[in-house]
Amino acid sequence: MNASDTTAGDELAPGFGRTWTESMIATFAVEAARLGELDRLSGDGDFGRNLTSAYARVEQEVATARPRTYREWLTCVSRGFLGTGGTSGPLFGMFFRELARCAQGDEPTPAELGAGLAAGLAVVQRYGQAEVGHKTMVDALSPAADALAVPGATLRDAAAAAARGAESTSSIIARRGRASYVGEASRGVLDPGAVAVALIVQLAADAAG
Amino acid sequence: MMAPSGRGETVVRRSLANDPDDLVAEALEGLALAHPTLLRYDAEHGFVARAAPAPDKVALVSGGGSGHEPLHASFVGTGMLDVAVPGAVFASPTALQLYEATRAADAGRGVLHIVKNYTGDVINFTIARELADEDDAVATEVVLVDDDLATDPATDPATDPAETDDGGPGRRGTAAVVAVEKICGAAAEAGADLATVAALGRRVAGRARSMALALTAGTHPGESRPAFELDGDEVELGVGIHGERGRSRVPMASADELTSLLVEPLLASLELARGGGVVAIVNGLGSTYPLELHVAARAVHRLVTAQGLRVDRFLVGSYVTSLDMHGVSVTLLPVDEELLRLWDAPVRTPALTW
Repeated sequence: MNASDTTAGDELAPGFGRTWTESMIATFAVEAARLGELDRLSGDGDFGRNLTSAYARVEQEVATARPRTYREWLTCVSRGFLGTGGTSGPLFGMFFRELARCAQGDEPTPAELGAGLAAGLAVVQRYGQAEVGHKTMVDALSPAADALAVPGATLRDAAAAAARGAESTSSIIARRGRASYVGEASRGVLDPGAVAVALIVQLAADAAG
Repeated sequence: MMAPSGRGETVVRRSLANDPDDLVAEALEGLALAHPTLLRYDAEHGFVARAAPAPDKVALVSGGGSGHEPLHASFVGTGMLDVAVPGAVFASPTALQLYEATRAADAGRGVLHIVKNYTGDVINFTIARELADEDDAVATEVVLVDDDLATDPATDPATDPAETDDGGPGRRGTAAVVAVEKICGAAAEAGADLATVAALGRRVAGRARSMALALTAGTHPGESRPAFELDGDEVELGVGIHGERGRSRVPMASADELTSLLVEPLLASLELARGGGVVAIVNGLGSTYPLELHVAARAVHRLVTAQGLRVDRFLVGSYVTSLDMHGVSVTLLPVDEELLRLWDAPVRTPALTW
């Protein structure tokens, strides 16, 4: 790492975990309907409701646990999803669990977040058995983790990579996950799981300032 | 005057429910109220546990979607489960529910998960074990129950072998789960360690096979139509317990003929040696009445003994249901002396007591 990368080893600003969590709660309250609509076009239509239910649980967890550190905030997000059904509940729950566990200090460094994204990708692939190109959340998560693994990369780079990955799902036919049952009908529709991941990484970049 | 019936119109199903979203929680509350000395319902964490937790034994936790009652909650009690974790109707309990249940169940000797083979259940139970292991150092084991012969890739001509190699879901878990819970429960109660109880469970799950048929599909609470429609002269053969369609449709026939369509493939797949014994479970799927079940039981007994085999124990009743499905499943479990002794051990639960 060269001298100009002075921020790469530093913790993100105090309050990053809280800002990220609160912005996810606020954003998905609005976006869940749009993502649910994508799921109705290509899957079984329960994704919007599961997201709404998951973030409602996150709010309950926050009210009960009174989190202070990044790890505590993200653990609330993880438990919110692990308490939600469908396939998205357990997979996003384990993804956020890895992200929660990545930080040593009160807030993560960009490098720790990069390692967290990579570990999150690994756990999602382990449980979901999905590869890039299967039209799932992995299509956004994998490029985001790759982008952040480059020395000096920022969360903005990861967010841009995740957005491109999510866009790419429009042209593929689903191989795994919710849309795999409808085959050709999934072509031309963005995968809502990948779009949700792109949004989550974008909100992390915004929270990092 | 009552409206004349039999005009071929579909009868709209009704159910005894308040808000359908509250059905499961309200029923569990009622179950615990009906059996206060046996059960308690933890509404906050969403599980049913023994009223008096057993100390110093391996804990047994099972669970799955609701709609299969009395499975699993009514098998909580001495000699069977310690904790049951119900999901919404036909939906897996969540990973967090299962994790909290696993932590609550552990009495220091470890926890055995008994899981019917469905993708959602398998993922959520696996995550619960990972969390319990990493965050609480609770030792866990799992027995996967996959007894449904109708979904056996080896016998289903409709299964694409490539799909199986690709990690297809395999056989579904159905009524054999009762035998697994009973036999593991007896071993745990007698003080067996976690590895021994798990090995017994795998032995039972590995041997038992089941087949089911339906005369009418079940209807989701809050809905007015069954999961699939059958003409009056059709029977759905090889049905699951979630309103899935079966493997084939056969013409309506007598109880003896229909029962043989279940028993013959089971006997063929089990390849039992003459002189061997089985535990037979004749299970109603929700709205099959006891007279019908015992007619089927009689036929099962005749078919099994005609092969030179013994029915060592017989369980006849509705134990693993599919809402109000009108149908029956038959489970055959080849047994030895050890399994019979554990089967015969005392049990005291709302749905099974001897």
